[in-house]
Amino acid sequence: MAPSALRELQHEIETQANLLSKLQKDTTKNHQVRKQYTIQLGENELVLKELDLLNENANIYKLIGPVLVRQDLAEANANVRKRIEYISAELKRLDGTLQGLEEQQHEKREAILKLQQKIQALQAGKSNS
Amino acid sequence: MALVKEGLDLAGMSVEQLKLVKEQADMEVGLLQDSLSKIRTAATRLEIASTALHDLSLRPQGKKMLVPLTASLYVPGTLDDADKVLVDVGTGYFIEKTMTEGKDYCGRKINLLKSNYDQLVEVASKKKSMADEAGVLLQAKLRQAASTS
Repeated sequence: MAPSALRELQHEIETQANLLSKLQKDTTKNHQVRKQYTIQLGENELVLKELDLLNENANIYKLIGPVLVRQDLAEANANVRKRIEYISAELKRLDGTLQGLEEQQHEKREAILKLQQKIQALQAGKSNS
Repeated sequence: MALVKEGLDLAGMSVEQLKLVKEQADMEVGLLQDSLSKIRTAATRLEIASTALHDLSLRPQGKKMLVPLTASLYVPGTLDDADKVLVDVGTGYFIEKTMTEGKDYCGRKINLLKSNYDQLVEVASKKKSMADEAGVLLQAKLRQAASTS
């Protein structure tokens, strides 16, 4: 029956549209997390540069909670480098996820377009008959 | 929908597309202006820090001073060795430096911010001229459409 096919198609479009908006929300969140990580990466690189300018016996303190704890240059360097590596790996992972999300969005949009075309054909067929 | 900015044929676009381009360019200009003002604020704070450092270096050791414990509570104290300063370099790390190194640090950071600021100003002005161009073309197209209809 033509009307129920129409309703089915409209229902399909709704489902796909919901999935699309969820994908868009995920993409936005991805961007936000990426921005945060990029900022942290920049900050850590600045710290690394400062540490490189120091000589061996300079005093370095790390703020852990309310306490300033003494650290030596080698340890601080290692810590900052490890954080930079971790953040870079996270950014790469996010990049991959983002690409996947964009592809899925593209697919969903195409699917919605096809469904809309089907609906139009169906409605045109109904008005002709 | 990623619009490639360079090589965009503005003259060949419809009114709708032109409006979209102008809106997006305006938004980007706004964001860039925001970043510019944030850099200016940060640079000002660094200048204040640098001045404070300089002032501190002029004070003799053992000078009586009032130390802020909270925003409304100060306690009397004496100035200890003013040649050593703790510098906050970010991500929770503090480095002990001498007075000269500290001033040097402030100077370095201020220069870094200044160069970032200049780069950003360039990008922002380019974006603004693009937005203005799109706006002018939009007006022309609208007038064209109004005169022909």
